[in-house]
Amino acid sequence: MQRRRTFLQTLALLLVSLGVDPAGAVPTATRNLRYLRPPGAGPEERFLTQCIRCGQCGQVCPNQAIRYFGLENGPYSLDTPFIIPREQACILCMKCGEICPSGAIPRIAREAEAIIAQVHMGQAVVDQQLCLSYQGKTCGVCYRACPLPDVALKVGLLEQPTVLEACVGCGLCERSCLQMPQAIRIFPHRQTSLPV
Amino acid sequence: MEQHVQKQPDSPVPFFLWRHLNTVRRLVLLLVFCLLILLPYISLYQNFVAGHAYDLLTPHERRIYDVMEWLTAPIARSDPANNLNMIKGNTWSGTLFGLKLSDPLAVVGQVAAQFKLYWPFLLTALLPVGLTLLLGRFYCGWICPATLLYEINDAVRHRLVRLGILAQGRRMDLRLKYGVLAVGVGLSTALGTVVFSAIYPPLIVGREIQYWVTANGVGAGTTFFLLTLLFDLLVARRGFCRYLCPGGALYALLGRYRLVRIQRLVNRCNDCTLCDKVCPFALRPMRDAFGQECNNCTACMAVCPPRALTFRLRIQDQPDQGPGHQGPAHRRAAVRVTAKGEVA
Repeated sequence: MQRRRTFLQTLALLLVSLGVDPAGAVPTATRNLRYLRPPGAGPEERFLTQCIRCGQCGQVCPNQAIRYFGLENGPYSLDTPFIIPREQACILCMKCGEICPSGAIPRIAREAEAIIAQVHMGQAVVDQQLCLSYQGKTCGVCYRACPLPDVALKVGLLEQPTVLEACVGCGLCERSCLQMPQAIRIFPHRQTSLPV
Repeated sequence: MEQHVQKQPDSPVPFFLWRHLNTVRRLVLLLVFCLLILLPYISLYQNFVAGHAYDLLTPHERRIYDVMEWLTAPIARSDPANNLNMIKGNTWSGTLFGLKLSDPLAVVGQVAAQFKLYWPFLLTALLPVGLTLLLGRFYCGWICPATLLYEINDAVRHRLVRLGILAQGRRMDLRLKYGVLAVGVGLSTALGTVVFSAIYPPLIVGREIQYWVTANGVGAGTTFFLLTLLFDLLVARRGFCRYLCPGGALYALLGRYRLVRIQRLVNRCNDCTLCDKVCPFALRPMRDAFGQECNNCTACMAVCPPRALTFRLRIQDQPDQGPGHQGPAHRRAAVRVTAKGEVA
């Protein structure tokens, strides 16, 4: 009797947990937090199913760019890795994909073609009102910082930057921008159907 | 009755090392814990090597650099920035000299979350699962970094109970943790994410040490872990491991038909019940009731005065062998039977 009751209770709890739709109840990401996932990570929803929160990507990151969420981005993101490019950007060394056991960060060769094809962290956007070069003061720092110069970011007259399609969103341009607030920033590509 | 009476030849003394295995086990736990502290420092050191001039490090950072350089010299050789990547992670999932290992619970959680099998990840749990099939729930006693802290907590608890400050604590149903495992799998599926990672103490311990060292702070996990320590202290002895840990539940299920088992030698046993008292998982060695939950921690072997416990290679426990032959209950029974025998 005791055994059966425990089993039934377990079953009931399981059914309740399956039936609960958490999407409406728990906020999963705050609107105003602009962060990137490590290079190669898929759409947010898939990333969250794959990531097991082991913390190896942050241990292996030679640039200490990868940090971990507490509860500030909602309970779903607890202990998941993120990058704030203005603080420390990704140098595209691809070591996190090599160490990741769960496939959340795929293994990508450290070559320009592979990185351009498979890394979609975000896209740089230039604010011409803030950019020094567009204001007549030749700068070009973002171009010097870009790991894919002339492929992801090209400069014209007076080093005025233009972002190209191939930009993977590593954030090194945003990190190095002289302006405060920065004139170039990464808009994350996180096609997500989770409520934000 | 008959067979109790027969004077059986005394079993030989079990291998002398068995009663010291508990000490060995504590040293192993300590080693794993030290490694978990060391790994984030190695990561910092690699960062310093890769991206900083030694001259620009603060005195504190220089101290880390110097100590880690000395400690890791044998495996780092000339290229610490790359060579040290062969030891990373924690007990949840890690890379040990290039070999990727994962906790089976991580694999179960991820499969439940994404309903897909990602083979490279599944294979990382192969070795732990194989060892668990052979040795049972050994992870809980021999590797789990939370166990070390829980055992220290338990020692404190034991003293407080003796001083009369704490109550004995309650006993619950050991099967509760299988419910936690089932609910966790269900929630992982429903929420589409590995929920175990938020409540699994060994992972929390490893990760919070990492946060403490590299990010100079602790996360939400510390609060949870402190609550489990309080639970153990105030509600039930080793309560989280016994009644709630989903990892322990999974390992116990895998280790149900384990090959390496502790067994009571009935003709050496004197019914002193020390083994029943000391068992951290509330099992009853003196009734031969080890079951699937025994983790071969050998705490019972270490305390057994007549050395009546040994290892056997069997996939099932001995059925209850009755009172120990050196104990008063058996002696009384024996005297009764001989008396009858004389009458007949």
